[in-house]
Amino acid sequence: MSIVRDLANVAKGMSVTFGEIFEPTTVENYPDGPGPTRGARMEARYRGRHVLQRDENGLEKCVACFLCAAACPSNCIYIEAAENTDEKRISSAERYARVYNIDYNRCIFCGYCVEACPTDAITHGHEFELASLNATTMVMRKEDMLAPMPGSPAKLDTTSR
Amino acid sequence: MADVTFTVDGRQLTAPAGTLVIEACRAAGIEIPAFCYYPGLSLQAACRMCLVRIEKMPKLQTACTTPVGEGMVIATETDEIKQARKSMLELLLANHPLDCPVCDAGGECELQDMTFKYGAGGSKFTDIKNHRDEQQWSPVVFFDRPRCILCYRCVRVCNEGMDVAALGIQFRNSGAVIAPNDITSLDCEQCGMCIDLCPVGALTSDTYRYKTRPWELTHVGTICTHCGDGCKTTLGARREENGMQIVRGDNRDKSGMNGDFLCVKGRYAFDFANNPERLTQPLVRQPDGKLAPARWEDAIALVARRFREIREERGGAAMGVIGSTRITNEEAYLLQKFARGPLQTANIDHHRTTDYPGFVKALGGETAHFGSIADALTAPAILLVGGDPTEEHPLLAWNLRTNFRHNGSRIYIANHRAIKLEHQAKATLRISYGGYADLVRSLAASDDASLPAETAHFRDALRAEQNLLIVFGAELRGDAIAPLIQFGLSLPAAKFACLGDFANSRGAMDMGLHPAFTPGYQAVSTVGLSLPQMMDAAGRNELAALYVVGDDPVGRLGLAPESLRNTFLVVQDMFLTATAQVADVVLPSASLYEKSGTVTNTYGDLQPVKKAADTTGVRSDLELIIRIADQMGEDIRALVPFGRGERGDMGQSRGVQSGEADRHAVWLAAHNLEPKLSPFDPDALLDEIQRLVPGYDVDRFALMAGEPQPVRVAAGSNFPVSTGSESIQPANDTLFTSGTLGQYSEKLTEVNRFQAEKTLVAAG
Repeated sequence: MSIVRDLANVAKGMSVTFGEIFEPTTVENYPDGPGPTRGARMEARYRGRHVLQRDENGLEKCVACFLCAAACPSNCIYIEAAENTDEKRISSAERYARVYNIDYNRCIFCGYCVEACPTDAITHGHEFELASLNATTMVMRKEDMLAPMPGSPAKLDTTSR
Repeated sequence: MADVTFTVDGRQLTAPAGTLVIEACRAAGIEIPAFCYYPGLSLQAACRMCLVRIEKMPKLQTACTTPVGEGMVIATETDEIKQARKSMLELLLANHPLDCPVCDAGGECELQDMTFKYGAGGSKFTDIKNHRDEQQWSPVVFFDRPRCILCYRCVRVCNEGMDVAALGIQFRNSGAVIAPNDITSLDCEQCGMCIDLCPVGALTSDTYRYKTRPWELTHVGTICTHCGDGCKTTLGARREENGMQIVRGDNRDKSGMNGDFLCVKGRYAFDFANNPERLTQPLVRQPDGKLAPARWEDAIALVARRFREIREERGGAAMGVIGSTRITNEEAYLLQKFARGPLQTANIDHHRTTDYPGFVKALGGETAHFGSIADALTAPAILLVGGDPTEEHPLLAWNLRTNFRHNGSRIYIANHRAIKLEHQAKATLRISYGGYADLVRSLAASDDASLPAETAHFRDALRAEQNLLIVFGAELRGDAIAPLIQFGLSLPAAKFACLGDFANSRGAMDMGLHPAFTPGYQAVSTVGLSLPQMMDAAGRNELAALYVVGDDPVGRLGLAPESLRNTFLVVQDMFLTATAQVADVVLPSASLYEKSGTVTNTYGDLQPVKKAADTTGVRSDLELIIRIADQMGEDIRALVPFGRGERGDMGQSRGVQSGEADRHAVWLAAHNLEPKLSPFDPDALLDEIQRLVPGYDVDRFALMAGEPQPVRVAAGSNFPVSTGSESIQPANDTLFTSGTLGQYSEKLTEVNRFQAEKTLVAAG
């Protein structure tokens, strides 16, 4: 009797194995997969490299309030503010960020900056391939992080999928 | 007044009768929120934030206008009061824009703080806010109307504190707005007190607006580099490509002797440090006659070599040294030591703006009678002879106005022109410009029937005073000072103050930048050449070398540049002044905001200066003098007593010597150990000044803690007959000028132009 019971148990276990063989694969084929992300798939709330957003008029949403820098636990955000003029308007409020740097050597992707932002200017994108052998390339400037102008030819869009 | 006892939130408290509930509570550590209440200003009761419940009184009462009474029972933290505060804030926020992320006050806004603490999370007001555009009222003052909460602090400080009345209220009730009385712009002293007192971001300053946020700045309390009053200004600096740039100055923490007061210069005129004309590398005159940038080592070696050659060939008498009124005491002391020691010359002087030696001589040993700026705030009676404090000594004017307003002090003014302080004067005497000596003689002399009735009346009123603070300007010099001192000493209690221009005029004189005195007014045996005499000697080719530290004699005296052609001229300055243009070597130096040390204001209050900013490429005058002496082969330890520490070397050019606090050194000094490792540490020189200069033996720890220390210099027994008062040249600055330095402050120049246009328009 015990042999029959053991075989039944093996068959029950193997039925899971054989059943899964014919299911489609759930492993991501990164980096050999298709598409711009080479097979990587991110959840919507994945915290990747930051993207500085623009409003519907193409103006930068960032008003250089320094709250992200104040909230940052690793002190990796550096901002220099300047005043908008009628001739040169960068953001929709009185002030804009003349310099906006994030040091990805130090960033821990905690998302506090995004939570602190009162204008939803800074968001986490999905770009994650940030590794570098040269630490000096890890400081991103505003130009590296700004979202493209509305209507401009689509670059590699890592903000949504 | 008699004390009354009352109860606040169940606690038994005692305060003098007449104390306001809000003050009595704050003194006991019970916070009562308020916007419109501001200590020192009149009461307004406009914001209704300070409402408290007082038993037996109907409705809630304003704590800022109710004096405490015997047996009063006050509640400050009940649900009813919390609800009242919440509703008040909701009303204040009804039209207040929620633009905190861009507002300059964000982070130090009283409305923000109170909303956090007492406010509601939401609002019942859903209507669109009434937006109005921002207005610019002057080169330095901007006004954002929707942000204003109508606390009227700005209006009151302008009317009462400044006695200017440039601000008022337009319309009534819900339409009321703060507006300049001049309709569209401010015609005033541009002091910026309105901006400083504004609890929200309605009034903003041009130098700071939309540049950064308060928590991003480094805040360093130092002493203003402009006039002789020595106000403390807390400078906020931010990183820039070429060092630390100052973006604002204020004294919001009231930590200095000036309380929260600052004038236009202390608040805005720091921008000279960022002037694009600032020198940042040494310049050496080339064989082709042009100045060209050089390496520091080469420039200093050249200066040292030429100084040594000239000293050996022509002797120290052929050399001259001119100091500055804006360098620290330590630098002035070192400069005269360098001149009288290594350079072996007695020819040392500076731009003298008033007769301090004459004052010290006239006062003799009566050092208890030196006044300080704090006396102007408390003295029951003040005599002002000459000078115009409103224009030249804004803090003195502020203190006199405050004293008049709070204590009803009696102010007597004798002047050759109408000055603004006469608004507060009990008696005014108009005399001729040359009449000051006669006036003070008639004060001191026995009764003289031939005096004009007006003068006699003025004199009799003064003689009736028991406790008098006597302040005199540069109009009184030399022997004319003695009768005034004599008169003052005949009163039961009198104190004296002498008005001079510039941040460290008094210190420069005390430190012996004078041909006849070593530090502390000790007479020298061989009197050297004064500044005008040196310039004459240079014109006659008798001066082989001239070392000018922070002065512009060519520009200031209007000399012909050719007169210095045959003189080896070394200039240490921030800018290419008229003197620097004809120099053989120009060394770029740091401003007073970029170094540490001490300065003495014109009333003799010694205060510490701390390094707040930095400009790449410049060095402090202290470092430059030491490096030149070192290159000349002098013993630096004889010049600067910087200790026997083995690590003491000349290798550093940044760090302790440029003013950052060395905690280890502070600890060592506190325990009387050997702390001085660097010759560039000004503390080493302050040690020597304290030890050797009469009157400067002050409480060092109180000084380091930021308390002004009174300097009381007694005249030496061998005081010379003449104090050289003939070469005194008052600066005659106005509120909007500040000697050579002021010309390089763009903001001050802009304000000056703006106010000059206002005056022109007013004159038609």
